[in-house]
Amino acid sequence: MNQNDSNYLISLNIADFIIQIKSDIEFTPEPGYELFLTNEKETTDFVVNCKADIPADIFAGQKPVFEAENEQQKFYDIYRYKAGLGFVIYNQQQKNTIQQIALLDKEFRNWTIYASDIAEFNPLRYPMGPIIMHYMTIKTNSVMMHASCAFDGQRARMFSGFSGVGKSTMSRIWAEAGSTIINDDRLIIRELENKFFVYNTPMYYKDIPKKAPLNAIYLIHHSPENKIQKLKGAIAATRTMAFCIQNNYDRSFVAERIGFFARLAAAVDIYDLGFVPNASVIEFVKAHE
Amino acid sequence: MNTKNLSKLKSRFVSREVDKELILVPLTGNIAKMNEMFTLNETAKLIWENMDKVENEEALTNLITNEFEVSHEIASADVSTFIKHLETML
Repeated sequence: MNQNDSNYLISLNIADFIIQIKSDIEFTPEPGYELFLTNEKETTDFVVNCKADIPADIFAGQKPVFEAENEQQKFYDIYRYKAGLGFVIYNQQQKNTIQQIALLDKEFRNWTIYASDIAEFNPLRYPMGPIIMHYMTIKTNSVMMHASCAFDGQRARMFSGFSGVGKSTMSRIWAEAGSTIINDDRLIIRELENKFFVYNTPMYYKDIPKKAPLNAIYLIHHSPENKIQKLKGAIAATRTMAFCIQNNYDRSFVAERIGFFARLAAAVDIYDLGFVPNASVIEFVKAHE
Repeated sequence: MNTKNLSKLKSRFVSREVDKELILVPLTGNIAKMNEMFTLNETAKLIWENMDKVENEEALTNLITNEFEVSHEIASADVSTFIKHLETML
């Protein structure tokens, strides 16, 4: 890192979105971003300007419109301000310590991120990176899902559900049968010219960017026997939407999401799948396609 | 609950019809609630569509008894359950 460097510039290609990152200070993104770096210079979908030092009291006296926290810790707060949205991101190791302040314009195209800790300057440090990726999806006919996805060269099958339902187990079973795992935890679905595609995103570990046309979604749970039920219409849309990442404080976000999942449910087969965690589920799934 | 509170409660949801079914999603700043949503049956749909047009829950109950073959007691319980369900989603 060299604090005298300016105009440090890198570009990422995530889900076929080009994100240009400009920084006052050179930094090394977390390892998961490495294989998503691109030399693409012609097009830019999103711009992230990174600056050192966090401005004090930028949202003092304001009430957040959204607070992402659990009983143990805060993740981030979201504020509305005149030019767009403001994010206060908390350090996940040091409780209640602000790690980044981020501003996002109303078009959701341009970010300014102020990051702390010059010694380890990393404006994309978790959870900032996934927040940027989530907000990439909101106005672009895309969603980010809690899901795994296996592509056997012909069909991409997504498996979704809350933590512990078997997403990683399902990935392992399909991988052992020769499928490529797009990712086993977090995915982006994009609607492009009335077709739906699934992409992986940078994780905490290195992986190459992957993309596949999405054929089917399975809402999974463990079961004493393999059993399947096809879902349609509003039920298919709402049950799948339950597993997307969403910040439901804005009416337009929610309306967009419902519309997206209604179109998804009309174009892609969606099933409720109870499964036994062994290879038998592969033939079972294929037999019901 | 009076008409003002019923309207206020309704305004905190986004509704959209998909394949002739109505979906409700709450507008919430609470991350624990952000995956809550549901589709409405016929009775719930009638309550939802009229909850900002009547004076109180009793009027909603009367709408149900006029529309469906159901006792006042059951209709009143349906209204109360639906309103409470909406409140718990926020």
